[in-house]
Amino acid sequence: MEGGIRAWKGMVAYGPPEAGMAYFSPAANAEEIVGLAWSLEEGSKLFYQGVAEHFNADKEAREMFNWLVSAEKGHEKHLLETYEGLSGNPPDFEKLRSKFSDSLGGSVMEGGIPVKEALEWIKGKGVSESLELAIAMEINAYDLYIRMSRTIEDKQAQQIFKKLSAEEQVHLEKLASLLDKRV
Amino acid sequence: MGVLDYFKAVPTMTAEEVRRFLTEKHPDEYNLIDVRQPREYERDHIPGANLIPMSELKDRLSEIDPEKPTIAY
Repeated sequence: MEGGIRAWKGMVAYGPPEAGMAYFSPAANAEEIVGLAWSLEEGSKLFYQGVAEHFNADKEAREMFNWLVSAEKGHEKHLLETYEGLSGNPPDFEKLRSKFSDSLGGSVMEGGIPVKEALEWIKGKGVSESLELAIAMEINAYDLYIRMSRTIEDKQAQQIFKKLSAEEQVHLEKLASLLDKRV
Repeated sequence: MGVLDYFKAVPTMTAEEVRRFLTEKHPDEYNLIDVRQPREYERDHIPGANLIPMSELKDRLSEIDPEKPTIAY
């Protein structure tokens, strides 16, 4: 690429190559990966819900973050459909909940950021800064899902990560256009 | 490989062309290689880029699928 990264005006991810992979490394199979990815999506959904409430007085911002909440719900639904399509069965959520509840269970969102900390951070910040945080979080999730689809050996898990990365890409484009509208 | 191979022109893309290419293609359809140092990669990298520092490239060529277009930066 001409000019290297300095010429790049698009989105960038950060962190070392193994960033975020630790969340998924104990997940040896597709079912466990679905459980973990679901937890992270759940965390993101809770974050966006919190942000929507925070900007309650700003109609446009509230609607924007509520749209993100519904987009996360859509991600969760697709995740389940992908898993069921691959394995023929729904994941065993009881088993997954007991396995991962300590580490995740909606307390951490995509990009590995704790939801509480993120909601604390947006206090006193504007809509654009909150959107930028959302974009940073989604970019890192996108980056992670692509890397995971290349490194994980389980074929079904590979498919799930590919699906997730494709969805993040669409999600990011929407977020970027929302940010463009606000700045 | 003959000596003339060193003088082969390598097609380059502008950052804008790469951005468009990455938007249109699925990550499965290309190799995106970051040949900088790990610390540079850590600071910022194009989402989905695979870190293969220049110094390791020769030993890690097997990680690059020759059937797919490769973008390096």
